[in-house]
Amino acid sequence: MAKRKKIITIGLVAVVLIAFVGFLFIKLYIFKKPDASVASKKPDVEITARDLVNSFETNEKSANTKFLAKIILVQGVVNNVAETKSDTASEITVYLKDKEETSGVMCSFNKSVLTKDQLKPGDSVKIKGICSGYLMDVVLNKCAIVK
Amino acid sequence: MKIRLLSTLSILFLASALSFGQKYITKTGHIWFFSHTPMEDIEAHNRQVVSSLDVSAGDMAFVLLIKSFEFKRALMQEHFNENYMESDKLPKANFKGKITNLKQIDFKKDGTYAAEVTGDLTIHGVTKSVTYKGTIVVKGSSITANAKFTIIPQDYEIKIPSLVENKIAKEISVTVDVVYNAN
Repeated sequence: MAKRKKIITIGLVAVVLIAFVGFLFIKLYIFKKPDASVASKKPDVEITARDLVNSFETNEKSANTKFLAKIILVQGVVNNVAETKSDTASEITVYLKDKEETSGVMCSFNKSVLTKDQLKPGDSVKIKGICSGYLMDVVLNKCAIVK
Repeated sequence: MKIRLLSTLSILFLASALSFGQKYITKTGHIWFFSHTPMEDIEAHNRQVVSSLDVSAGDMAFVLLIKSFEFKRALMQEHFNENYMESDKLPKANFKGKITNLKQIDFKKDGTYAAEVTGDLTIHGVTKSVTYKGTIVVKGSSITANAKFTIIPQDYEIKIPSLVENKIAKEISVTVDVVYNAN
């Protein structure tokens, strides 16, 4: 009898321990997980900046269903590079636009990923980012340069 | 093609309006919100706010993409977009309004001015008429607009599941910080 009780006690302790470790794991790794890096993920769509802008200009609704929240690999020419600063963080915005076009693709980078002088106007680049939608330009967030 | 031509024309029109120095614009405005509860503090930043300010008529407009709000944790951002804001269906939020005390602001003179703006705020497909107080800072060729106000998610039919009710504040504090440049 005493032996059986001991086994039950050990079993219970083990269950509680496993549950606790599991809980910690979920709390630390899943709930606190920072944003998954776009850089290491495969793009859902590969497209040129011009085609991406065109599809939003012709039909924003259908473009939204096609591109929203997807990882887009966009190819285009740098129009300008700007830095936006605030109290909490700073960001680099790379604006892809052809000279003759009126709107382009705004790609925002975390400052740890790209510095302002890494790109200059006229450079041809491939950028991967998550599409947030279309305002005056198509907006890509959490971008990374693709080599 | 027609749409392209139309948009080109409208941009040209906009550009001509800009050249008179009446209209100020930004594509990288910053709006962020903060939710405080004893359980958890949550904040998210959007640095791609498009906004225009017409200094002669006092018109102010803001438009932003819900998906451009960045959270510290990926899961929060996912829940925010999919469960609360339904940003696939309703990707934008916007505000259109007017400065009510335009006469008290001298856009040609450097300084900090108190401003009151009244207009329609649309979030999650629900439009409310609102009035907010803020400041306008004129410094050389740039104009900065700041405002801080609170939003009640319930007012905009944003449903928060009872499971996380205690983690999300009943009143969300919103901060607007946009810098316009004369083009």
